[in-house]
Amino acid sequence: GAGQDVGRSCILVSIAGKNVMLDCGMHMGYNDDRRFPDFSYITQNGRLTDFLDCVIISHFHLDHCGALPYFSEMVGYDGPIYMTHPTKAICPILLEDYRKITVDKKGETNFFTSQMIKDCMKKVVAVHLHQTVQVDEELEIKAYYAGHVLGAAMFQIKVGCESVVYTGDYNMTPDRHLGAAWIDKCRPDLLITESTYATTIRDSKRCRERDFLKKVHETVERGGKVLIPVFALGRAQELCILLETFWERMNLKAPIYFSTGLTEKANHYYKLFITWTNQKIRKTFVQRNMFEFKHIKAFDRAFADNPGPMVVFATPGMLHAGQSLQIFRKWAGNEKNMVIMPGYCVQGTVGHKILSGQRKLEMEGRQILEVKMQVEYMSFSAHADAKGIMQLIRQAEPSNVLLVHGEAKKMEFLKQKIEQEFHVSCFMPANGETTTILTNPCIPVDISLGLLKREAAIGPLPDAKKPKLMHGTLLMKDNSFRLVSPEQALKELGLVEHQLRFTCRVHIQDPRKEHETGLRVYNHLKGILKDYSVQHLPDGSITVESILIQATAHSEDQGTKVLLVSWTYQDEELGSYLTSLLKKGLPQSTP
Amino acid sequence: YRDLHTFELQAPTRLIEWTRGNRVCVAGYGQSDGNEILQLIPPPTLLTKETQGLCPERDFKVECGGFSERPVYSLKYVPDTSLLVTSGPPDSSLHVWQVSAEDSDVIKSVSTIATENGTGQSWAKIATISARAPWVLHGSRLDRVQITEVESRKNVYTAASRGSEELSSLAFLDCNTLLLCCATGRLCLADTRQPQSLVEAVSVPSVPCSEQWCMGTRHGAQGLEPSSQLVARLSSKGLLTLTDLRKTSEFLALAKARVPSPASVAEFLCVSWAPALEGYLAISGFDGTVHVYDTQNWDSSGREAEPVFIHKGHAFDGGGGSGDPPLVTVHTWHLQKPRTLLSAASDGSLHVWDWVQPCGKC
Repeated sequence: GAGQDVGRSCILVSIAGKNVMLDCGMHMGYNDDRRFPDFSYITQNGRLTDFLDCVIISHFHLDHCGALPYFSEMVGYDGPIYMTHPTKAICPILLEDYRKITVDKKGETNFFTSQMIKDCMKKVVAVHLHQTVQVDEELEIKAYYAGHVLGAAMFQIKVGCESVVYTGDYNMTPDRHLGAAWIDKCRPDLLITESTYATTIRDSKRCRERDFLKKVHETVERGGKVLIPVFALGRAQELCILLETFWERMNLKAPIYFSTGLTEKANHYYKLFITWTNQKIRKTFVQRNMFEFKHIKAFDRAFADNPGPMVVFATPGMLHAGQSLQIFRKWAGNEKNMVIMPGYCVQGTVGHKILSGQRKLEMEGRQILEVKMQVEYMSFSAHADAKGIMQLIRQAEPSNVLLVHGEAKKMEFLKQKIEQEFHVSCFMPANGETTTILTNPCIPVDISLGLLKREAAIGPLPDAKKPKLMHGTLLMKDNSFRLVSPEQALKELGLVEHQLRFTCRVHIQDPRKEHETGLRVYNHLKGILKDYSVQHLPDGSITVESILIQATAHSEDQGTKVLLVSWTYQDEELGSYLTSLLKKGLPQSTP
Repeated sequence: YRDLHTFELQAPTRLIEWTRGNRVCVAGYGQSDGNEILQLIPPPTLLTKETQGLCPERDFKVECGGFSERPVYSLKYVPDTSLLVTSGPPDSSLHVWQVSAEDSDVIKSVSTIATENGTGQSWAKIATISARAPWVLHGSRLDRVQITEVESRKNVYTAASRGSEELSSLAFLDCNTLLLCCATGRLCLADTRQPQSLVEAVSVPSVPCSEQWCMGTRHGAQGLEPSSQLVARLSSKGLLTLTDLRKTSEFLALAKARVPSPASVAEFLCVSWAPALEGYLAISGFDGTVHVYDTQNWDSSGREAEPVFIHKGHAFDGGGGSGDPPLVTVHTWHLQKPRTLLSAASDGSLHVWDWVQPCGKC
């Protein structure tokens, strides 16, 4: 999933023989099998444990972990599932919530059960930020801070010297309760990044917050009530901080409530995961509990009937059940009131219906509810835009980039932008498509000091523009690679060096005696080869450097002399040259 | 304000052009290479009549983008086509681009319209029209004005030469009439059916060479009779002249804008008429503000005029606070919503704002 598509993120990576599954999400737009990733790509039948070395979940949003219980319990996987501590704590809550809507509200049968969620979570291994986790002897993973939501992480997967970084969803600008994503210059072979918001130029946060506060303020000023359905965590904290600051500044008196259970849970989690929030919160938390607000109090069911203005944060977030729905039913009929939906609502929920414009809702017992209250929508979700994506690529310095989570036609421009700016290859596969990335593996080799010194002493110093060629012998033994001089290699291996000598016969016409021919050859070569050492030995043979030339008589023909030119393997070049030179014949007039 | 939205572009732009289908184009001008041309879909909030406070879609979307090898100083959409024409330094040649948003999100470079390269030529100013055929009017100097057919790149008209001053802008008043404005403030009318004649309009009041001028004509030359054309000229010292093209021998009005100091960088001077509000115009380019004026009560005295509204957002938003304060590089009016403007500044900010008529003038 998530190949040129938004929803049901699930990416399979094969790296150096290891298979890793990145995220296991659900597509929120479908009600049938299309809502889960298609695991038949991995294998047609049977359990997936044998095919996967591990599964990594980036964060608790359902489009990244929603299919996990289905995958592990209904399809079958018993291996390790890695995620950060906050993700491990929050995932089951959201999965259970979603299960309730799907099964209880919509009456579906082929869905995972509560027990399955529990069994699935037992397979989870929680990790800390920047902690290198050995999955097995060769495969290791490391989590980096991603911003976006509490506990969201980007993961580096490494086998030997090949690595992949998967970003999940991330955000490069800090907000009120989370910091910005960060990664070191890890230079992975591949960076897999989401590109949902690459084509968006976002309205500034200030403007959105200002409009949100304006709406809340207007409603409260005219005596109305504002309902904000939220999940237990995440954006709710952001909005609370925002309202608290505004209330303080404007000296407002209307009460703000946070529904019970929500406060405890939120505080509990944030205390547990204080390291996951941003710098500012951490500092303030030390002085006082950031989530104990002066103007925000715990809610009691009875308060919903109180007259006068108020603001209430209540769960669950899609108005599909529980307290938020109860409050909604009480307040819906009054046009002075307002409900602000903070995020995506799954089809079938009241939240989704009212956002689509429905104003007459059928409740249990065939009761019709007329919605007169104002319905507003606001999204504060934090994703990286084009600028953010470029920033992350600049930080990590990958050799290749792969884009997921965007729509096909709308990623071509970003692909070209990345390729032009960073001179790397950029891929954007569709669902089911396999992309192969070629890597340049590095093989470390130890070089013997003697060899290095010897080679370094010869000729000019090595230069980036003029690589030096050196000769040595590569010894591969017991998983170690060593480069040593040939002599040392022979010694270590107990081998004797063989010498290769080539001999070539050149026939020349010369009726004179051998030693005269020899003299002629000597003088000839001496005259031509001014840069070489040409010598005439007492026995009549001539040497050019280490090449030996001897003149002998032809066995049958007195007028022909045979020159034997002999050289070792190392002197091939000079030997060939001399041979061709002599084949041209000797000049006539030689003394 | 009735509404204010602030956005940040990855690179600052000095143009905001409306193109087909209510899209907006912006383009980078900073680097020598790798400048992006972006065609943006404005947020739905801008396209509806009602101003909505909270709306899921509040963002601009990049519909498609292209890469230009040179800075893009000017961009014009060629009406009734899917083509864009751009110009920019180092010379006065033009580039033609193809936008096919349905097929791909890349704006492709189609062709180049070359011009003779005189020495010291700067970039060409451009205007487009699709009357007999898609045409682009272009030139960097008064003696180098020509009209080229966009698709065939054939020259269809060359203006008679009356001097070699640099041009600050040009426009089609209709398919036969051209309006040329020089940086010195000199305004000329030309008729494409009579290549040799060039009618001078009235010059500007003072002629110290330090002042630079630009002009603004009412948007959408097609369809408006040339006789009802009011041309505004703005100088780098803040002087504004209004000229009626039927009576070019005199100024219709003369006023002084309330600017603290003359524009140091004359190239961002911009004056434009509101398409849906009679007599209103906006100016920018002096600092980080945009002024809106009601010219209906102006006379020829040259008195200082009081702006109806000043948009100061760019001056305040200045992110890091380091370096020079941002300078508004361009502004434009929304084509349908009467009081909505878009403005961009040198720090990459892009603002969309809707101002409220101050009470006294209702």
